Parts: sequence; C-alpha cells; structure tokens
Amino acid sequence: MVAVLQTMHADARSAGTVSTDLVEIDHVSIAFPGSRGRGTVVAVEDVSVSIRRGEKFVILGPSGCGKSTLLTAIGGFIPVSGGEIRVDGAAVRSPSMNRVLVFQDFGQLLPWRTVVSNVEWAVGKRWPKMPAPERRARALHYVELVGLGPQADQYPNTLSGGQKQRCAIARAFAVQPEMLLMDEPFGALDAINRERMQFELNRVWAAESERVTIAFVTHDVNEAVHLGHRVMVMSRGPGRLRALVENPSVGSPPHDGAALKLVEELRELLKDK
Amino acid sequence: MASIDIPDAASRRNKLVALLLNAGAVKKVVVLALVCIAWEATVRLLEVNRLLFPPISEIAVKLAHGLGLGGTGELWSYVWQTLSVILQSFAISIVIAVVVTGLAVSNNWAREFLSVMTGMFQPLPSIALLPMAILWFGFSRESLVFVVVMAMIWPIASSLTVGFATISPTLMRLGQNYELGRFAMMTEILLPAALPMMISGLRVGWGFGWRTVVAAELVFGATGTGGGIGWYINNSRLFMNIADGFAGILLVIIVGLFTESLFRMVQYFTTHKWGTENF
Repeated sequence: MVAVLQTMHADARSAGTVSTDLVEIDHVSIAFPGSRGRGTVVAVEDVSVSIRRGEKFVILGPSGCGKSTLLTAIGGFIPVSGGEIRVDGAAVRSPSMNRVLVFQDFGQLLPWRTVVSNVEWAVGKRWPKMPAPERRARALHYVELVGLGPQADQYPNTLSGGQKQRCAIARAFAVQPEMLLMDEPFGALDAINRERMQFELNRVWAAESERVTIAFVTHDVNEAVHLGHRVMVMSRGPGRLRALVENPSVGSPPHDGAALKLVEELRELLKDK
Repeated sequence: MASIDIPDAASRRNKLVALLLNAGAVKKVVVLALVCIAWEATVRLLEVNRLLFPPISEIAVKLAHGLGLGGTGELWSYVWQTLSVILQSFAISIVIAVVVTGLAVSNNWAREFLSVMTGMFQPLPSIALLPMAILWFGFSRESLVFVVVMAMIWPIASSLTVGFATISPTLMRLGQNYELGRFAMMTEILLPAALPMMISGLRVGWGFGWRTVVAAELVFGATGTGGGIGWYINNSRLFMNIADGFAGILLVIIVGLFTESLFRMVQYFTTHKWGTENF
C-alpha cells in the first residue's frame, strides 16, 4: 500500500500531463447563518487562488479574516456557499485522509493513547491491512523524526505544548497525505518555541523529500516569510484575497535582509485600508 | 556521645508515630476500633438484651462463620445471588444507555426522548416500581433486574450525555479527518473521551442499583421467596437471629466499599493516567 502510494506520488511528479496545481480555489465564498438566525455572515468572499503541488503555501491575515474557515473548507469539513474547491481536479465534498488537518488546539491528540500509539492509530486508519510490527516501526520512525523518541511511550498529558504539536505533526506526516492543512499550529506556543517549531517543520518537510503540499494559516508575518514559498494575504470583513506574494527567501534565517524587506511589505499589506 | 544518641533515637520514634497518625488510613482504623470498643462496652456494661442488640464480637464471629472461617460459608451464596442480579442489570443498563445516548448524539428526537425519560425517572426511586414489577414478572429474578435497571440506567445515561456533549470539537474533527464510520467514531473517539464522565455515572448508577437491589430483596424476603443478601437480612429477623442480620448488613457495607475501590482502581488506570480525570 505504501509502495503504491509512493509510486503514485512519483508519477504525479514525473508525468508532464499532471497539472502543477494541486488545489484550485475557484471563486469561493463561504457564509454562515448569522447569530439568532438573522441573515448571513460572509466569512470568505470570492477568493480564487491555486496551490501548487509540493509547495508550502501560507495564508496570512488578521484574525477574523476567514483564513481558518478557508482552510477548513479545503479540508472538506465545511461546505462552500459559492464557487468550488477542487483537489486533483475533483470537487472537495468531505474530509479525507489525503488532507490532514493540524490544529492549534493542543487537545488534538487522543489523551488515552501514548505518543507513538497516537501515530500508530492514524497509520492503522490509513493502511488498515498493514501488519502491526510495520505499523509500529513506521510510527516510531516519525516520532523520532520530530525528536520525540524519548517521549514515545508517554501520555500526551505529560508533554509540553511544543511536544504535543510535534506529536501532531508526526502523526500527520506518518500517514503520507497529499496535503497538510495547518491551522496556526504554533499559535499557542511561546516565541522561542514557535521559532524552533518553524525550523523543525521545514526540516521534517525536507526529510520527507519535499513531497507534501502544505497549506499553512497564520497571522504571524515572520512565520509566513520563514515557511511559505508563496504567501497569500487576506483582508478582513469579509475575507478577500488582497495579494499573492512569491517568497524567494523561504527558509532563510529570520534576520536575512531580503526576508526582512518582505516582512515589511507584508506588514504594509496587512494594514486595514 | 551516648547522651546525644538517646534523644536522637527517641525523636526518630516520635517522628514515626506522628507519621503513622497523620496517615488518613491509620486514623480511620483508629476511629473504627474506637467505635467497635464503644459498641462492645455499651452492650456488655449496660446489659442490653443481646437478642435484640448483640455485641460486635458476636456479629464478627457470625460474619466469619458466614464467610467460611470455621463455619458454613453460607453468606457467599447469598452475596453472589445479589451480585449476579446487579451485575446483569449493570450490563443491560450500560448497553441500553450507550445505544440510546449514542443515537441522541446525532438525532434530535432521540435526544428529546432521552432528556424527557431521564428527567422523569431520575427523581423516581425505582423501588417504587417493584409492586408493578411483581405483578408483571412475579416474585422472580426478572422483577429484581427490572427495578435495578430502572435505578441504574438514568444516572448512567445522563452522565454519558454530558460526557458526549463536552467532547472537544477538535477530537470530532480528528475522527472525521481519518474517515471514521459511525461505529468507529463511537468506540474510538466518543466513548474514551466521555470515559471520565462515564466512570462517575457508572459509580452513581452502581450505588443506586446496590441500594435498590438490597431493598427489593427485603420486600421479597417478607413474602418468603428470594435468596439474596437482603433476603438473608430479613430472614434473620424472622428467626430472631439478629447477629446474623447485622453480619449481613456489615457485608452489604463491605461489598459497597469494595466495589467503590474497584471504581477508583479503574479510574486510576485510565483517566487518572491520561490526565482527563473528573471528580
């Protein structure tokens, strides 16, 4: 099963006929019923953008701009009210293991399973016929990849916030999804931990042969510049696409000159007009 | 030198005594012993009619005999009779509560049904249903199981409802993300996540059930059929074996304490370990 998936990935990369775009967001609007049933609240309005295969795509915006909503819709957790989201050419209808969501909430781990068992659980869901020893080996590999080897047999309640997010990331990578949807996964961490985790995410992504496409939601400009090949800036009320910025300094150290310049540009774009 | 060593040893001994006295368990044992001594002394010194109020030593001997220490061991069969009724009812209650509450998670009508039924039957001491149960099922095990299930099921169901309602949306989304079906969602996410609440519900349910089954057996005892520990207690009144009756009562208490500690143990090895404990 794993082998099959890997060849599928390889095909997708080598075959010239496959589109470079993995996700097409096509004139998407998302609205919710308003409070007390009055009218509707438009969270996302007429957003069109494509996410390329194998890139790290950051959705940046102030809080309340609908960026998480858009990400959740890509995941298939909520319906769009207008337009269409297509992944691999097919409209998204429901959640899938091909698009794994990583939350900001530390409570995304199953508290009744240890670190490695959380990962094993997900691997078992992805490949139900995989023999237990292989499943365990696979889980351990990813647990060690994120540096949680010593904590593998601990329960989540004994971990720090950063360790919990590492575990969630290990679990997400372990099922080899086509796409990772990350909803401010480092938003609840302290500044030092956040920077470390950004670096780690880049490292793990590279260790996985830069195969996984990542959509990453954040309101942190520095984080966006450190992580994103491209940064999509959203504006608030209702959420619209304001700008789409190529980022040549992705992965560069935080005080790199070009990176700082882009940070300034993005800050300017984020200002309410 | 020796003059220094002696107070050292003494103070160490004092510390040990203080430590023992401070331990809650030790205090409890001391209190219990004092109560027993007071009981024994009152009966003996005031020359109370032993037929009506036997000294604790006599009861202890009866209990020991009943449990097979130098006696027949007849109490075991009575206790087992009662326990088997309550265990059967417990299993039935859990299955029904899980199914109904599980339905109520996704269906509005099921939710309202559950809420109305729980609201109605929670305040009703289910022993009040025993007369009807006797009419329907006769003086049978089924009657007992019926009233005990009616006692247990509502606290279990209502705690499960709260347990399900307080599961974080993140865990539900996790389940959706890994494409869990209804059944897997139930067994792999909902039930373990609701376990802290569920354990409290099971504890309360068991407590209700235990009271109810003993009470119901007392009623059965009045008619001369049955065979559980409640029946045994009532029977000892009929034959004026008051010490036997007290032994039965003590046993009811001991079994209650024992099951309570079993629940604590389950809690210790699950929710306490996971850090999701709920009191």
